[in-house]
Amino acid sequence: MENTAPPTRFDPKVLACLEGLDFKARYVMEGFLSGLHESPFHGYSVEFSDYRNYQPGDDLRHLDWKLYGRTDRLCIKRYMQETNVRFYLVCDTSASMAYKGSRGWESKFGCARILSAALSWFLLKQNDAVGLIAMDAASGLPRLVRPSQRSTQTGLLLREMEQIAPGGNPSLAALLGHALRLVHRRSVILLFSDLLEPSAEIEQYLKQLRFHGHECIVFQTLDPDESEFPFADSHVFEDLETGSRHQVLPGSARDKYLQRFNAFMEDYRQLFQRLEIPHCTVFNHQDPWPALALFLSERRKLQ
Amino acid sequence: MSFSLLHPFFLLGALGVAVPIYLHLKRREPHNLIRFSAVRFLDDNPHPRKSPWRLRDILLFLVRLCSLLALIAAFAWPYLREEGSFVVKESRVYILDNTLSRQAEGGFVRDREQLTSLIRGAGRELQIAVIELKTQPSVIAGFSENHEAAEQKTKNLQPSYQRGSFLPAFRLANTLLQNSLGEKKRIILLTDNQENQWSENLNVPPFLKDVEVEIPKTPHRNLPNLSVAEAKAQRIFLGEKALVNFTAEITHQGKIAEATVILRINDQEVMNKKVSLADKPERFVFQTQWEASPSLALSGVVEISGEDDSMAADNSVYFSLPPVQEGKVAVLCQSQFLRLALSPEIMRGHWDTHFIEPSKIAAELETANDAEVLCIESSYLQSADARKLLWRYITNGRGVFLMMNRVTAVTKGFVKELGFECLPEDSSKAGSANLQYLFANHPVFHPFTSPDYGNIMEVKVTDPIRLRSTQAVSLLFSDKGEPLFFQNVKQPGKLFVSAFAFERNQTSWPVHPTFIPFLDLCLQNARPSDPMPTSFEPGEVFIQNLGTNSLVREVVLKTPTGMRSSAVLHGKLQLLIPEKPGLYSLTYRGVSDIERIIAVNASPKESQLRFTVKPDALQAWQMISTSSGAKQTAGLDATPPNISSIWQQKIWWFLLVAALCGLALEGFWVHGRRKTA
Repeated sequence: MENTAPPTRFDPKVLACLEGLDFKARYVMEGFLSGLHESPFHGYSVEFSDYRNYQPGDDLRHLDWKLYGRTDRLCIKRYMQETNVRFYLVCDTSASMAYKGSRGWESKFGCARILSAALSWFLLKQNDAVGLIAMDAASGLPRLVRPSQRSTQTGLLLREMEQIAPGGNPSLAALLGHALRLVHRRSVILLFSDLLEPSAEIEQYLKQLRFHGHECIVFQTLDPDESEFPFADSHVFEDLETGSRHQVLPGSARDKYLQRFNAFMEDYRQLFQRLEIPHCTVFNHQDPWPALALFLSERRKLQ
Repeated sequence: MSFSLLHPFFLLGALGVAVPIYLHLKRREPHNLIRFSAVRFLDDNPHPRKSPWRLRDILLFLVRLCSLLALIAAFAWPYLREEGSFVVKESRVYILDNTLSRQAEGGFVRDREQLTSLIRGAGRELQIAVIELKTQPSVIAGFSENHEAAEQKTKNLQPSYQRGSFLPAFRLANTLLQNSLGEKKRIILLTDNQENQWSENLNVPPFLKDVEVEIPKTPHRNLPNLSVAEAKAQRIFLGEKALVNFTAEITHQGKIAEATVILRINDQEVMNKKVSLADKPERFVFQTQWEASPSLALSGVVEISGEDDSMAADNSVYFSLPPVQEGKVAVLCQSQFLRLALSPEIMRGHWDTHFIEPSKIAAELETANDAEVLCIESSYLQSADARKLLWRYITNGRGVFLMMNRVTAVTKGFVKELGFECLPEDSSKAGSANLQYLFANHPVFHPFTSPDYGNIMEVKVTDPIRLRSTQAVSLLFSDKGEPLFFQNVKQPGKLFVSAFAFERNQTSWPVHPTFIPFLDLCLQNARPSDPMPTSFEPGEVFIQNLGTNSLVREVVLKTPTGMRSSAVLHGKLQLLIPEKPGLYSLTYRGVSDIERIIAVNASPKESQLRFTVKPDALQAWQMISTSSGAKQTAGLDATPPNISSIWQQKIWWFLLVAALCGLALEGFWVHGRRKTA
């Protein structure tokens, strides 16, 4: 795959054909990067990367005057970007993340996992330290991979991500509680969750994280069924987390559902606004590149 | 069609059906189930069905339906009754006594008529089986047969002359009742309660459980009867005269004053005389004798008749006597009297005597041509060869007549091997003594119960050897109580031992008229026995081992109705003796045919017309039951079969297996569909 040309658009069928989180992550990330006009890898640091021709408007501080003296050409020096920021991938593993509607190319958890894997690959390439916090659904205990910049960290993270699976009761609040306890130094928290838990409890933990100086970026993974409620016939709905069943006639319940769902999500949006937490919704039937774009823009802000 | 819904078996079956259905329904998932993540935004919104249930999968529905139907049918099968079925309230076994004693006053015919009318009048709720009591009780009509067939079979029964015991008939009836359907189980005995039939099997452990037994009332304790039995004919040789000694046992019960006895030999009446019974004991031996050629086969019948006789079937007894076959006797004796008695001049035609010289015993040992009987005096047992010779005779199944004239240490030891112990002399019993007691029923001494052959009690014996044996039977005693004559029954051959030799200084017998008849009878009985007896009981099964080397291929029994052939298989003959008393011809067919006349006579026990009112044996056979086995579950109007009968129904198992297979198929089907979905 490394030798193949990067994809120009996201194709869920191609993604489904790939085996292993490693390939999937690289497919997503490289496809995204190839569409960018500007490489996200270049920044302003000490390590020289390459030259490019001067464009009007470029900062004259980065003109290589020595080169101009030798070759009479105006070139801008480019450097490898080094941020040395510590990133924590915090993955929600509650059972609701296992939902996959008829249109999704992957379950919500699968989508979040690919996204987090892609980001970790990208960040480690940038010499950032990346770690992982997730809940083990079977034992109810947190799984932690300490952030590191080492080249073996990618493999370690991918293996860990492949081992975790969604299940059990709602665990986002507990997960954030563990993150609060385990993350000591200022870090960037990348939260992957469907946020289908009451915002009141989550709010407390997010506030505390922000209070401790951590930056947070929330990637909300959703299935279109959840946002649109497309069911027409009478169905029995069983909660993935609690197992409770509701017999519903969707025709009459849909409006009420959408009203409640939107209000719920609006609460979260307001919360993120208040806490200045960037938030991006990733649907598992769409390409995840907008989420990556958000991340890059936010990362630039961190510079 | 009705179901016994309250029976425990049914309830158990219903529970068995309910459990898998409950589990099935519990595990069943609604077809429109969606596992959703955002159920928190939904309200429970049940709504009434607008349309009836829709069958999404007809085949699956049919499989489920068939499985349930098969399960229900499997559990309900034993209780399912078709139209026309009925409840069996009572299972009844009639034991019809068809022994000879029931012929008294037409008892059997009366019982048969009574039984047929009972069967005819019995309803369908009464299960009836009929057992005929004979030597071997047999089921005439089983529970599975209808009443008409049972009645017809009972009607066809004819009076028999057999002897039968109640015990096997009751055991057979009990077995039938164990597998019967009736709520109540009963045995009804149609018999005369003959005393000796009940008293035969007193010491049998109880075996009748939850079975009622009904026996008839005995109208009287005994009946007058006249009977004759135990006919015995023996040849006696008195000098030149060849006589036949005949004895028969006549029994009379009740007030019968006189009887007429008729004796027919070879279809000729040789005697017809009246016997007064007034001064005779209840049982006495009738004895007579006549001259007959030794080469002539005799067969005959004794008939007795009298007034007020209740049963005529036991008034005759048949007998047969084969012609004399010359025997061979080897003699190793010093006694001149014995040698003279066995000389060809006296025993010609009866015994071919071979005198063994004392010096040629070893040579005799080498020859394989043994005689049938060896007469030997104990003084010759000093010789090892003589001992070997005697031992060879005994082990080869031949006869030995040992006369103890002298006892030495060697003789004592050898005699001990034969099962005898020589006791020291007793001065109080020394001297001569008369013969006093004898085993009168033994064939050797039986003729001497009649004075016609001389008074054997006149014989004197002086200082006999004192012998004791645990293996031999003492047949003759002196007036001092000393046993004088023995027969050892433990050896393969017959061994007669006398405690004295036939010398004048030891006994006066050689000069007594009974000596020659006694010697002849003794040797005749010492001969290897004839394997074919001449007297049988009606209906008995005679098994004879002819040996694998026998040349006899088959045996043909000639009866008045025809010939009956029995093949000899592996040297064994199994012969069913005719049911009617009489004389029958039996032919052994092999290289050459050998013909015998056999006599079939009823058991004399059947002539004892004494009856009991309350048989003890019946109480001993019945088990004490704390609860009535015939009780059924309350609320049931039906008599369900017991659990073993349910297990035995193949259809029940087929239905059960089909149902379980159906459920398994349904399970796999649903599982497959779910997986596909």
